[in-house]
Amino acid sequence: MKLFTKYNRVNIIATILVLLIGSTCYYFIIRFVLIKQLDNTLKVEEAEITAIVRTRNSLPEATRYRDQMTLFTEVGRPMRRKFSNITLYDSAHHEFNPYRRLQFALNVNGKYFLASVTKSETETEDLLILIVIITMAVIVLLLLMLFLANRVLLRKIWQPFYHTLQSIRDFHISSRQAIKENSSEIDEFRYLDKALNEMTGRLVREYERVRIFADNASHEMQTPLAIINSKLDLLIQDQGLQEKQMKQLQEMYDAVGRMSKLNQSLLLLTKIDNNQFVDAETLDLAGLITHKLRQMEDITNDSNLEVTLALQPVTLALNGYLADILLNNLVGNCFHHNVPGGKIDIELTTRRLTIRNTGPALSFDASAIFERFKKSDRSQGTGLGLAIVKQICDSLHYTIRYGFEQGMHTFTIDF
Amino acid sequence: MKILIVEDEKMLSDSISSYLKQENFICDTADNYHAALEKIDLFDYDCILLDISLPDGNGLNILKELKANDKTDGVLIISARNSLSDKVTGLHLGADDYLPKPFHLSELGARVSAIIRRKKINGNNLLRFNDLIIDTLARTVSIGEKPVELTRKEYQLLLYFSYNKGRVVSKNAIAEHLWGDEMGSGSNHDFLYTHVKNLRRKLMAAGGEDYIQSVYGVGYKFATN
Repeated sequence: MKLFTKYNRVNIIATILVLLIGSTCYYFIIRFVLIKQLDNTLKVEEAEITAIVRTRNSLPEATRYRDQMTLFTEVGRPMRRKFSNITLYDSAHHEFNPYRRLQFALNVNGKYFLASVTKSETETEDLLILIVIITMAVIVLLLLMLFLANRVLLRKIWQPFYHTLQSIRDFHISSRQAIKENSSEIDEFRYLDKALNEMTGRLVREYERVRIFADNASHEMQTPLAIINSKLDLLIQDQGLQEKQMKQLQEMYDAVGRMSKLNQSLLLLTKIDNNQFVDAETLDLAGLITHKLRQMEDITNDSNLEVTLALQPVTLALNGYLADILLNNLVGNCFHHNVPGGKIDIELTTRRLTIRNTGPALSFDASAIFERFKKSDRSQGTGLGLAIVKQICDSLHYTIRYGFEQGMHTFTIDF
Repeated sequence: MKILIVEDEKMLSDSISSYLKQENFICDTADNYHAALEKIDLFDYDCILLDISLPDGNGLNILKELKANDKTDGVLIISARNSLSDKVTGLHLGADDYLPKPFHLSELGARVSAIIRRKKINGNNLLRFNDLIIDTLARTVSIGEKPVELTRKEYQLLLYFSYNKGRVVSKNAIAEHLWGDEMGSGSNHDFLYTHVKNLRRKLMAAGGEDYIQSVYGVGYKFATN
């Protein structure tokens, strides 16, 4: 529920409640005032009758008008003065009408009479109804105005909030842009924007620092690696070395090789993250895949893999270097993580690339397959290959999925 | 052949010069920007190995200096920053090649030899090792008069060996050279054996000597003694 809806609901219910109670009170007060007025008229009538009785010592004539009647009834004893509301049938209009009656005692020549003056309340009722209708109309109008005003005003007032919300949604740390402050005349929103601006600014600076650190650390490592590599290259020239030492040197080579590969992969991840590969070119993907396969077969010619291709001619606009790394890692994995006599199926359509290969099941949870440094115990790789693939896909807005069905590892990329 | 090594890491420049000396190159070193400028001013080199991140200046300015003085020294940039823009700028400023750190000395040796050979425009595109002749222009190989049919990879392999003649070249270096660094490490290098074996067989079948020796599983040596 939107704040506006919630606010409006509470607001309108409260308004209706207050207005209902208010108008009920209003109704009764007006009614009370009007009856009071009626009673005063009746009292004036009473005074007149009493004066007549006193001066003439006889009852005046009973009268009967449409809105006022005077009746005298002889009673055996003195009666108390009393106001009452009664309903009488109006035979002319076939309806019951409300009347206000004042009964009071008269003593004429020792005889007790009860005088009863009745006055129609219809006029009062009519007035009351009019007042109620006007009041109701005003209430409805007021509610309507309130609702509309709230709607328009609140929507306008909350506009900066939705704007800010959108900015938060659009915030990507890799874009290195703090959320901008929007100028709003509402203090709260300005504070919110200011706080967000400061927070994201800090985040961006921290991120930048970490990124630069990782970048520098990786670069700084290149020189010592180069030194180790060069010393190894010199060491193997030594003719005095025995096979045993050579074997150890080979292991050192492999370790340094892995280390530098790891370093390069980390740098590559940073570079993709920095959007350093934005220049796109039109690439023949089918051609690239075939080329990559040939390259791979070159180095794995003794594995006896059965390769099935179903490639439609597809051209995509993307960075050549990224495409190369993407295919290298995906196609490379098919060969590296296969079994002797296994299979590789590659299918390419204009919308999708599917790469399947036989291979031993993963030794970890499949959902973690694109995570950095996640690899099977057997793997000699860096554990970054698929993380790079994922990052490339993300940067190109492709989706990549992994599945393991019927002994086949399946990677699907939707362009 | 005279080589200038501009590199602030002494251990690295020592390695490079002692490797290149085996190829009978004369190596000079400069460990900072100003020393490098001075040496370039005083001498002519066949090839300059240039680390562009020097403590007291950007190596790229050395390239500008060379260009301004119409020097034709070959330049191979070696850089810890494997950055495309550095590479593009460097090549644009007249560098001949770009080699990111870390590298194998055999790769460096091959690139230096290639640069020097390209600089010598006296039409000598033939490399001779006894009766083995490699025509780097036509990309053909022959033993005496007899042509040897090599695949592209075998040709590249032979050329790489010949550039590092007399020195042991590690399998890792060869794999990286032929298949790029993604194949170089972590993977099994057994496939290399097949390629080397085929090359040896073809050379010997054409009547050549066995130029390529295996060195204890760590690499190979091309020798023409």
